[in-house]
Amino acid sequence: MLAFLDHLEEWLVATLIGAATVIIFAAVVHRYAAAWPIPGVQDFLLGLNMSWAQELCIYMFIWMAKFGAAYGVRTGIHVGVDVFINRLKDKTRAKFVVIGLMGGALFTAVVGSLGFRFVWEVGMRYAVATTFGFQWPDLTEGPVSPDLEWPVWIFYLAIPLGSYLMCFRFLQVTWRFIKTGQLPRVEEGHVDGLDEELAKDDLLPAGVKGGN
Amino acid sequence: MSGAIIFLLLACLMLTGMPISISLGLTVLTFLFAFTNVPVESVAMKLFTGIEKFEIMAIPFFILAGNFLTHGGVAKRMINFATALVGHLRGGLALGGILACGLFAAVSGSSPATVVAIGSILLPAMERQGYPKKFGVGVIGTSGALGILIPPSIVMVIYAVSTNASIGKLFIAGIIPGILLVLLLMTVTWVVAKKNDYPTLPRASFPTLLKSFRDSFWGLFLIIVVIGGIYSGIFTATEAAAMSAVYAFFVAVFVYKDMTLKDVPRTLLASANMSAMILYIITNAVLFSFLLTSEQIPQYLSSWITDMGLGKIGFLVMVNLLLLAAGNFMEPSSILLITAPLLFPMAMQLGIDEIHLGVLMTVNMEIGMITPPVGLNLYVASGISHLGLTETTKACAPWIIVMLVFLICITYVPGISLWLPKMLF
Repeated sequence: MLAFLDHLEEWLVATLIGAATVIIFAAVVHRYAAAWPIPGVQDFLLGLNMSWAQELCIYMFIWMAKFGAAYGVRTGIHVGVDVFINRLKDKTRAKFVVIGLMGGALFTAVVGSLGFRFVWEVGMRYAVATTFGFQWPDLTEGPVSPDLEWPVWIFYLAIPLGSYLMCFRFLQVTWRFIKTGQLPRVEEGHVDGLDEELAKDDLLPAGVKGGN
Repeated sequence: MSGAIIFLLLACLMLTGMPISISLGLTVLTFLFAFTNVPVESVAMKLFTGIEKFEIMAIPFFILAGNFLTHGGVAKRMINFATALVGHLRGGLALGGILACGLFAAVSGSSPATVVAIGSILLPAMERQGYPKKFGVGVIGTSGALGILIPPSIVMVIYAVSTNASIGKLFIAGIIPGILLVLLLMTVTWVVAKKNDYPTLPRASFPTLLKSFRDSFWGLFLIIVVIGGIYSGIFTATEAAAMSAVYAFFVAVFVYKDMTLKDVPRTLLASANMSAMILYIITNAVLFSFLLTSEQIPQYLSSWITDMGLGKIGFLVMVNLLLLAAGNFMEPSSILLITAPLLFPMAMQLGIDEIHLGVLMTVNMEIGMITPPVGLNLYVASGISHLGLTETTKACAPWIIVMLVFLICITYVPGISLWLPKMLF
């Protein structure tokens, strides 16, 4: 179950960043390609409306950002100012680490709840009521996005979902830290393919070894 | 008064070591809840509008583009080209290293990755050729920071986003200071090499030079895609970033073949991880600056600065000192996001050009990367060279001084940053 959640999270953020790139690329290519007078093709391209690309890209990145932030808790990429606590004794330091992590859990829980209330009021309540036929008072349909004309609450749902997931990740990291004393850490400045290049050892021309 | 409470609160939360983004957010929530009647619900609204700008989306795209080209193979090509160009001068490998750092950092967009990539390849070669280890570590550790200034620069995008300055103008303004800094570092290194009679490489033949240029050109063309595309008006900055990501993917997979299609999801995930972290800081920094504005702190600071009669230069010196101090504790994007909304109105009040301020702040961020205690470049340089952190810092010290001199030039002579954008726009 947890492994499934991990994979879903990773798959979601990687797909969103990749797809957003392709969409913006396609929109730019489309804008210029449509200007070329190729019979048939031009009419087809002019018939396509790509004005939604920018909006969709923004919303994809909001989803990517919220779920990526939760994934980032798990990878330990959210760094803070740790110069001071690192000078403390291990036991005191551990207390501060837990305070920091619980601060993260508290903040994301509050934001998730505020976000959910907002999303609920801005259209989800209406959508739920109409879908299931509830007779709630004061039902108003929420706004739709300007280009795609989708209900905005669907996009904004990323905030409560992402924040609650992030809260869960903070608690998970805290639990692991208390149990094992280990915190996730991102390796700074990781570069692929260095070992292959180092194995080649062809940087200095043959014969140039010592000073000359 | 409220300003003092806000910053005290922020400082306390930060000192516990919790993520900077969370400290910013918690400060806002606590302050709104405890000291004001502003409904906390208004925070929810801000959470949505915080990152709904298309300009911000340039950041994930640039990170993605950089990650595609952050590869040992690309580093090697840049080193080959750089040493073919300047290797025959006194201290050739070191000079080539600085140039290679500049090129690789511009393309990869990451300072620590530049130090690791160029350093791992070049430092052993330098040692074998008889350079003192500390000299090599100092040169490479410092030059890794060049990427922040040479476009495409993520730090500049962050400045542009938080002050509404033009990304294109900032990128173009970074070109001359970037080249100047490379030349300055190379000159100092050359003088040191001359004095100590450090080794040289044989002069590269013209065909070798040409071949190494052709090899590195594919990577370097990324800079031209971005700057040329934005300047000519073919793309907006965000579109240029997306195009550069696609271009970098194409070069890495099909031209350089450093990467197979199987490696792409991993690169996407790593880029998403990094981008989401920065976007999360941005969201919370937007909340924070909303709080500052609603408490009228920027206005208060602006009138204070006029009352002080500090003047342009006095103010800029103060900015430098503040940023250098902050650079000792935080990484560039957080510093910019917290300080830019405060400093910007003051600078405008004093008639300082927004582009000049942007370049100045960027150079400050560069220096922050190589000064202890949290200079990331120092950590990675010490990691690859197995020199202690103190030794690494000492090794970098002469070049840090060069950087400080450069910072003073940038501060006092706005023309260095403003001449090219004024010519072009």
